[in-house]
Amino acid sequence: MSLTPSQWAALLPLLLPALGACLIPLMALDKDQATAKWIRGVMYGTALLAVAASFWYLTDLWKTGAQPSFFQLRMDRLAQFSGIFVVVAAALTILQSWDHFHQEGWVKGETLSLLLFSATGMMLFTASTHFVTLFLGLELFSIPLYALVGTVRARPESAEGGMKYFLTGAVASSCFLMGGVLIYGLSGTLDLSAAAGVLKAQGLALDPLALTGAALLLLGFLFKVSAVPFHQWTPDAYEASPHPIAGFMSVATKGVAFIALLRIFPSSLAPLTAVGAKMQAVVAVLAVATLVLGNLTALVQSNVKRMLAYSSISHAGYLMLGFVAGTPAAHTGVLFYLVIYLAMNMGAFGLLTAFGLVGEKTTFEDLRGLGWKRPAMGFAAAVFMLSLAGIPPMGGFYGKYMIFRELVATGHVGMAVLGVLASLVSAYYYLRFLVALFLQAPSAEAERLASDRPAVHAPLAGATVLVCAAIVLAGGFLQFALVDGFAKRALVEGLGLIR
Amino acid sequence: MTWLNLHPLTFLVFAPALLGLLLMALPHALGKLARMLGFLGALAIFILSLSWLLGRTPNAGGLILAERASWFTLVGLPVDYALAVDGLNLWLVILTTFLVPLTMLGTWNSLKDRIGTFVAMFLLLETGMLGALVAQDLFVFYLFWEAMLIPMYFMIGVWGGDERRYAANKFFLYTLSGSLLWLVALLYLANKAGGFNPALMAQAASALPFGVQGWLFIAFAVAFAIKVPLFPLHTWLPDAHVQAPTAGSVILAGVLLKLGGYGFIRFAIPMFPQAAMHYAQPIALLSVIAIVYGALVAMVQRDIKKLVAYSSVSHMGFVMLGLASMTVIGTQGAMLQMLNHGISTGALFLLVGMLYDRAHTRMIADFGGVAVKMPIFTAFFLIVTLSSIGLPLTNGFVGEFWILNGTFVSGFGWGRLYACLATSGVLLGAVYMLWMFMRVFWGPENKDEDSGTHHLHTDLNAREIAVMLPLVVLIVWMGVHPKTFIAASEAPVTALLQDIKAPAPRTFVLKPAVHEAPAAHAPEAPAAHEVHR
Repeated sequence: MSLTPSQWAALLPLLLPALGACLIPLMALDKDQATAKWIRGVMYGTALLAVAASFWYLTDLWKTGAQPSFFQLRMDRLAQFSGIFVVVAAALTILQSWDHFHQEGWVKGETLSLLLFSATGMMLFTASTHFVTLFLGLELFSIPLYALVGTVRARPESAEGGMKYFLTGAVASSCFLMGGVLIYGLSGTLDLSAAAGVLKAQGLALDPLALTGAALLLLGFLFKVSAVPFHQWTPDAYEASPHPIAGFMSVATKGVAFIALLRIFPSSLAPLTAVGAKMQAVVAVLAVATLVLGNLTALVQSNVKRMLAYSSISHAGYLMLGFVAGTPAAHTGVLFYLVIYLAMNMGAFGLLTAFGLVGEKTTFEDLRGLGWKRPAMGFAAAVFMLSLAGIPPMGGFYGKYMIFRELVATGHVGMAVLGVLASLVSAYYYLRFLVALFLQAPSAEAERLASDRPAVHAPLAGATVLVCAAIVLAGGFLQFALVDGFAKRALVEGLGLIR
Repeated sequence: MTWLNLHPLTFLVFAPALLGLLLMALPHALGKLARMLGFLGALAIFILSLSWLLGRTPNAGGLILAERASWFTLVGLPVDYALAVDGLNLWLVILTTFLVPLTMLGTWNSLKDRIGTFVAMFLLLETGMLGALVAQDLFVFYLFWEAMLIPMYFMIGVWGGDERRYAANKFFLYTLSGSLLWLVALLYLANKAGGFNPALMAQAASALPFGVQGWLFIAFAVAFAIKVPLFPLHTWLPDAHVQAPTAGSVILAGVLLKLGGYGFIRFAIPMFPQAAMHYAQPIALLSVIAIVYGALVAMVQRDIKKLVAYSSVSHMGFVMLGLASMTVIGTQGAMLQMLNHGISTGALFLLVGMLYDRAHTRMIADFGGVAVKMPIFTAFFLIVTLSSIGLPLTNGFVGEFWILNGTFVSGFGWGRLYACLATSGVLLGAVYMLWMFMRVFWGPENKDEDSGTHHLHTDLNAREIAVMLPLVVLIVWMGVHPKTFIAASEAPVTALLQDIKAPAPRTFVLKPAVHEAPAAHAPEAPAAHEVHR
């Protein structure tokens, strides 16, 4: 079978990371990899090259405006958006993990390989409306992540977190599969947009089985974005994971799940308006629960990673509010929010590496006074935390602004009030981060330990943190460029949703 | 120079922040250099603001300087980058640019650690305050209003007293709670008006049912009242004031609180005139409570700084009472009282800071007989105290007199009673200030080894006198010839109140500035014309 250039064009962005993922284990065969620094360098270089090539290729596609496809796989604007989102997250993760794994003393090639496979799966997941490719993508990105959570095998709690994530994730995947099966059984087609047309034509839109199918599909997505009540895995998995992997999970998993949700529910299943309305009501209820529970639980965390986990749950709540509003402008807001969220969360997790916090030593106590010791990192931390709290002039404010504005415009004033109150609560725990960094002196114990330890050396993680801070600030001052040039075009030209 | 001629306000607003960011990048070791650069920069901004803003005739729309360009359109709502100085904010802008360098000079040696970062925060704060004062688009106003919290948070939290973390968090979250709910109201109204132009929003608001207008007004009013702060939303203030370093207290009292009152007169009242009239009486009641309650609480304080903080609650109650009177004289009195309070309370905080730097205590009981040891300091403190009390011929008298006058003739049912009750606040003000003054400065010298007086070795030096002199001159000038400072706001205030009280149809004082003709001006001057991009 020979492929046309257009088909190659659609496949290449996925194939490049997959190729890198296949090459890296060959290099990891060397038994002495722990000592051979150059081999580690080559492995990381290969991984970076794979994502950079994919990134270069995707931006080239974006510039030309081409939207190639390979059968059911559509590398349209939305998929390109998602692809760029994923490879940027992957590149930041790779750079941060070089420093983090050296700090932990656990540098293994398979980590990179798994990460690249996961990135490939994520791109596949958001590029398809065909149920089989969709499910394939879901599993391809999820299974490597289960392993990545438990990747530092020297730490028992790491394996525990990985196992917990795997078991709950498997249940969610089976629900997702069952949902697809039900819709297939009723409609006789695996392509979801075709299935929606068939169901509508046959008057089966409100058939209990079709509703159950749609609900089970939705459950799969909501699990991946860690919406309440499917959020239980999140804090444990993040706490168990290496910091960069936790960052990658919090950003990329949530991001692609929302982008795929955008492709499936408001777009592919659009003919089933009644189902859409019912699902929207479910999302509304769960969004409220997510906001309330995520924010209130985050208040009482003493571990920064758990705080960031609950914070990421609460951000899922804000993003879900975008779906509650359900207008194209709100969906644009969701995409913009995701871009900023990528930068602020990868940055926040990158800070932990940049500050050299390893293992379980990631409590607020461990952060005390670090902002003054590392002023550039401190500045970036202030940018991330204020942005996460939604304080202008940071980018995070505009994401919330767009979503709240659409909520108010569609008559959900009560939801908007709840959303801003949730923001108020969240400001407290984000300030705690800054309180520890700037407002508290390090304890005498920490000072003594710090003088014994060698100075933290994490140049790559530090660089990623600065890049992320620059993106967040750009989101605050050039928000219109990001929205019009990037988020809106992904929706309008990718999904054909018209503003 | 052409860019500067076209964008004088942009320069005034953002130059401090740019300088601040530069100073932040300087290494810690160069803190003293940063302090000097920051002071010179702030001084230059003050001189520029004077030369650009004073002596300029407003154009037909009442604008002294203005800039307008469309900034962006997000989710269908256009946001205009619109800045303007007119009669309402002219003197508040100058007060801000005046107090910043003065405070830097007045607290020159108060801080030892991380001076450069502190000065940077101070300059960032100046940008936030100036931006909020000159913003003519509600979205831009909101941005500056919120952004202002960040540097103030760090100023209290990093350089404050023992309870600084609690005070900083309380300040931040308290203010944020008001402004977030206000944001929802803002979005609701912007949605009806199709943008954030205050004139269009006012028009849209007048078309809404009265109940909705009332709710929107309340959302606006609560956000502003927290900043003022109006009883019972004042509880963050004593903590923030007492814990903040001297410079933070001065700016907090001098400018930040004014922004609350300014928000009422600039946005809340003109945009919802009916609702404002409807709620004027409850607001007046709360103001009277604030005046009396603040004074009574101030009376029993043991800490001088806390006493001054509660006196702020009382004085800002006068401002709110004047605004609520909905009369020209009362509102003008409120405008003047805002400036008065900025000068007098700013001066009081500076003086308390000077005392604290020497004695390392602020407890009234630790002092006694300070007049013997620091005669010059005592003289300045006395003048400022009298101004704070409202002695005739000082600034405090004129403002309070006009406000009480306005309340008396306001015409709402209990106006006269409120005026009488508020007058008792003036009396109580004399009681708590003079009683404190007596205990601290007079009487036999406190010879106790641990006492504050014992640690006072030097009177004010030349730098400190140079800081206090301009303040004293202003106190007298504003008391003798308040017209200098109040003439500019007369026309806009009169127009606003006529507009509110006139029977329908309203003419909307807030005109979209786009349509206004530029004033006559020399082409090379940084002129009062609109910039269209």
